[in-house]
Amino acid sequence: MSDLLELKERVRHFYGKYEVYLLPVVKFVLAFATFWLIGSNIGYMERINGLSVNLILALLCAILPVNAIILFVTVIVLANLYALSLEVCIVGVVLFAVIGLLYFRFSPKDGYFTVLTPICYTLHIPYAMPLAVGLLKNPVSAVSVVCGTVVYYFLAGVKDNAVLLSEVQEDTSAVSKFVVALNPLTGNREMYLVLAAFALMSLLVYFIRRMSVDHAWTIAIVTGILVEFIVLFAGFLTLGIEGKTVWLVAGNAICAALGFVLQFLFFNLDYTRTERVQFEDDEYYYYVKAVPKLYVPTKEKRVKSFGGKGRDGQRERERISREDLAEDLDIDRDLLDL
Amino acid sequence: MLIMMGWTMISKERVRHMTKLAAFEEREGKEYRKMTQYFRRDYVGLELLKSFLSGTISFAIVIGIWAVCEMDFLMDNINEIDLISFGTEILIKYLIFMAVYLLITYIVYNMRYTRGRKKIRLFYNRLRKVSRLYESEGRQNGLED
Repeated sequence: MSDLLELKERVRHFYGKYEVYLLPVVKFVLAFATFWLIGSNIGYMERINGLSVNLILALLCAILPVNAIILFVTVIVLANLYALSLEVCIVGVVLFAVIGLLYFRFSPKDGYFTVLTPICYTLHIPYAMPLAVGLLKNPVSAVSVVCGTVVYYFLAGVKDNAVLLSEVQEDTSAVSKFVVALNPLTGNREMYLVLAAFALMSLLVYFIRRMSVDHAWTIAIVTGILVEFIVLFAGFLTLGIEGKTVWLVAGNAICAALGFVLQFLFFNLDYTRTERVQFEDDEYYYYVKAVPKLYVPTKEKRVKSFGGKGRDGQRERERISREDLAEDLDIDRDLLDL
Repeated sequence: MLIMMGWTMISKERVRHMTKLAAFEEREGKEYRKMTQYFRRDYVGLELLKSFLSGTISFAIVIGIWAVCEMDFLMDNINEIDLISFGTEILIKYLIFMAVYLLITYIVYNMRYTRGRKKIRLFYNRLRKVSRLYESEGRQNGLED
């Protein structure tokens, strides 16, 4: 247990010290993974899905704020949809506009969650996102997961109907293409079920982990996963959706493990980071770099002796140390007793 | 604790407070600035107005895309549709959507205002502390002169 606590402290210290380098790396990896996934799934416009373009854009994302990833993703997705068909692109623009209007009103700082949600879907662990939002953020941040989920289902629908949407036939009118493109959203009962389950899970996890009971985080993780699993399982049975059970069980098991990793990393821990600030007063310009202190020094052993020499021994040690100090400071020992 | 810097001294404690103030201003200051400028009612009112506009535009977009999808049906049955009941149905949906959306906005931004004002109060307390430290330093310098 103490090894784990030590590891936790080391992680915190490492993050505090190297946050300025870590964040761009995280953003780069996230952006590159997202662009690569877009290219491999709906890469209809070959020019913008090349490795070099992805690398350059990901490097740009590394130095820009996290919402830049969302902006680039939007542009790339729309360009790919345009290459497929103009009607799908228009539906995409409308969808992104509505999401933008709702998302940026409530949780403009949760870009990571919005981008990570579709990625987690491709890894079969989408349940990790509402869990993470409930554990780390507030209920409003669930909006970002909702947006990510809607985008995923829309793009999955486009991918499934790509052949139909790209057909240039006389009997395939523009209106019917609109209908096909919108079908994954309007007639998709699975999506509504997942959205309801995820919103419920986020709220449940958030409210339980905020309760003042012992092991609130553990209870929150277990309850959240169980409730979401039951809702989705019952929902899939009712709607007659097949072939999802294996990944539902496996995904939830992985997400429970991830939940405990998050608990280990974030529970009761303040990731104070290195601050680099500039300010001035009448006399000076200040360029301050404030590095967070290590709370519990690792591998520090304190030996306490009980009994033994008792008060006399303590006094003797005190006297010796005062004498040493007086010698060090090159002053009369009596001065220290004043 | 004082550090000698040339002809005058810099208080470590003051710099510590100033660093925290600067970090807060840089990271969260922009978000909370509005809360210092407005009363709760005005702040929430402004956000409700923004939500009203964004909600109305979103609803209009959704209705627009629905109309495009149902274009064939609408064109064929334009004469048979009872426009008044059709319009009332859309209006009721719009009102329900806006009521829910505005209620969420009201709750969220009220909570944000409460949290923001608390943080700003702490910010000003620290600012006062820095000001007092400046005063005492000034007095100390005056005594030394």
